[in-house]
Amino acid sequence: MTTIAKPHLLVNAAEPNLLEDTFDYSLPPLIKFENHPITEIIDGVPVEFDPSTVKSRDIVITDTTFRDGQQARPPYTVDQMVRIYDLLSKLGGPQGVVRQTEFFLYTKNDRETLDRCRALGHQYPECTGWIRAVKGDFRLVKEAGLQETGMLTSSSDYHIFQKLKFKNRQECMDSYCEVVDAAFEAGIRPRCHLEDLTRADIDGFVLPFVDRLMEMSRQVPQEQSVKIRLCDTMGFGISYPGAELPRSIPKLVYKLNRECGVPSDRLEWHGHNDFHKVHVNGATAWLYGCDAVNTTLFGFGERTGNPPLEGSIFEFIALKGEMCGIDTTAIRELAEYMRSIGLPIPDNYPFVGKAFNTTRAGIHAGGLRQDERIYNIMDTSSLLGSPPRVSLTDKSGADGVAVWVNEFFGLTGDQRISKIKIHKVARWVMDQYEKNGRLTAISDEEVEIKVKELMPDLWQKYKGNGS
Amino acid sequence: MQQPQVQQRIVNVVSRVLEVDPKTVELESNFASDLGAESIQSVELVAAFEEEFGIEMDEEAALSVDTVGGATDYISQICREQGVEA
Repeated sequence: MTTIAKPHLLVNAAEPNLLEDTFDYSLPPLIKFENHPITEIIDGVPVEFDPSTVKSRDIVITDTTFRDGQQARPPYTVDQMVRIYDLLSKLGGPQGVVRQTEFFLYTKNDRETLDRCRALGHQYPECTGWIRAVKGDFRLVKEAGLQETGMLTSSSDYHIFQKLKFKNRQECMDSYCEVVDAAFEAGIRPRCHLEDLTRADIDGFVLPFVDRLMEMSRQVPQEQSVKIRLCDTMGFGISYPGAELPRSIPKLVYKLNRECGVPSDRLEWHGHNDFHKVHVNGATAWLYGCDAVNTTLFGFGERTGNPPLEGSIFEFIALKGEMCGIDTTAIRELAEYMRSIGLPIPDNYPFVGKAFNTTRAGIHAGGLRQDERIYNIMDTSSLLGSPPRVSLTDKSGADGVAVWVNEFFGLTGDQRISKIKIHKVARWVMDQYEKNGRLTAISDEEVEIKVKELMPDLWQKYKGNGS
Repeated sequence: MQQPQVQQRIVNVVSRVLEVDPKTVELESNFASDLGAESIQSVELVAAFEEEFGIEMDEEAALSVDTVGGATDYISQICREQGVEA
C-alpha cells in the first residue's frame, strides 16, 4: 500500500464539539454512512450496495426464542412463553419491528402456547411455525391455523450426504421441492431454511435450488411465495468485503437477492455465535439487502447462541435514526423476567447485565459526576430504566462514593451533594481495603448501612424513618 | 480574626488529618508532595476546614488549593464572603 503523507492541522476550539448529530444521548449512537455506495467485487465484477437504503426499507427483526432459544435450555412452561410473547410485543411496538416469532407445533403444550399467545390479540409478532421437511407435518400447521412455517432444507453436502443420506443432490432437491409443493397445496407459505449455507456449494446446489423455488413460487399467490432463511448454522459467516463464498454474507445476499431474484422482504438471516461474529453478521445481512434478521432474547440459542434480539433492536434504532414505536424499557422487563425463571445473564452482558453501565474506577466516577455522557453509552435511564452506577472498591475514590450516594437518593441537578459531604463513607470504604485487607467489591447493601450510620441527616431528609 | 490566627488553626487541622508534626507544616508546604496527602485525604481536609471554620466551600475551588498558604488565603476570603468570624 502506498503511503500518502498528508498534514493534519489542529482546529483550535474553545467550545467542545460533542458530535451530537451522531451521539444524540436520547438514542443509541446513530450509524451513518457516507454518501457513496459500497463496492464489492463479485465474480470479477464491481457491484454496488447502498447501505443507506436501510432507512427506507422495511427491515425487521424476527424471533426464535421459543424454537432455537429452547434448544439451549430446559423447556419453558406455557405461562412463561405467553409472558415473554407479551413483552416481545410491547418491545417491538405497533409498527411490528419485532415482526414474527416461530413456534414448535409437536406437543400439546406447543399448541396451547400458540393459542394463548394469539388470544392476547397482538398484531405483532406474527406467529409462525417450525416443522421438519416432512409432508405430513403440514397437517399440524394447517390445524394450528398458521399462514407460514419454517422447514428444514439443508443446503451443505455435510447435511445432504452425511446427515440426510441422500444418494445425490438431485434426489435431495426433488425431495425438498415435494415438501414445498405440499405446503402450497395446504395453502401455507413455506419458509425454506437453508441450513449450513455458509459451507454449502453455492453455485452447484444452493442457487439452482433457489431458482427452482422461485419458479415454483410464480405458480402461487404472492402471499404464499417461498421465503428464504439464510442459516449460518455453525457461525462461519463473514461480514468483511472481499471474503469468498460460501462464507461471505454480502455475496450470499447478493446471489439470492439479485441473481435468483428473491425480494429483500423474503430474505431472512439466521446466525450463530460460534466465532463471536453473530450480531455484526446479522446487521451486515440487513445492509446488503436482507430485510429480516432472526434473533433470540439475550442471544440464547443452540450452543453459542443467535443474534441477541435486544442488540438488533439498538442496531435498528441506530440505523433508522428513530425509535419507530419501539419500547426499549421492555428489554429490562424481559431481562428481569428471564432471571426470575432461571436464565443466567452475565454481569457484563450489554444493556441488561448488572454491571453493563457500572464503573469501578474513581477516575471514571469523577467523569460521571461531571457529565454522565462521558462514561455512559446513551441515556440508559430513560431507554432502559438503568442509570449509570458505580461499584465501590479501593479504586472508586470519593468520586465513586459521591456518584453512588447521589444515585441512591435519586439526587439530580442542584440537589446533588459534593464529595466533600461523603468523606466519612469514602474513608470507611478505603479502610476496608487498606486496614482490613479486603479483596472483594463492597455490596450496595453494605454501603447503604454505612450511609445511614455516617450521614444520618441526609438519610433523614430523603429516606425519613424508612429503610 | 487575623490571618496568623487562621493560619494556626489550619496548621492544627492539617496536622490532625494528615497525622504530621505541626512543626513540619509551613506556608509553602504542598499538601500532596510535602505532607503526603492522598486523594481521599484532600477531601477529608476540605471537610475538616469546613467544620473548623463553619463555612461551605466550593468543591472544585477548594480542592484546587494545594498549599497551606493558599488555603489560608482562600479560607480567609470565604469567611469574609460568608460573614463568618474566622
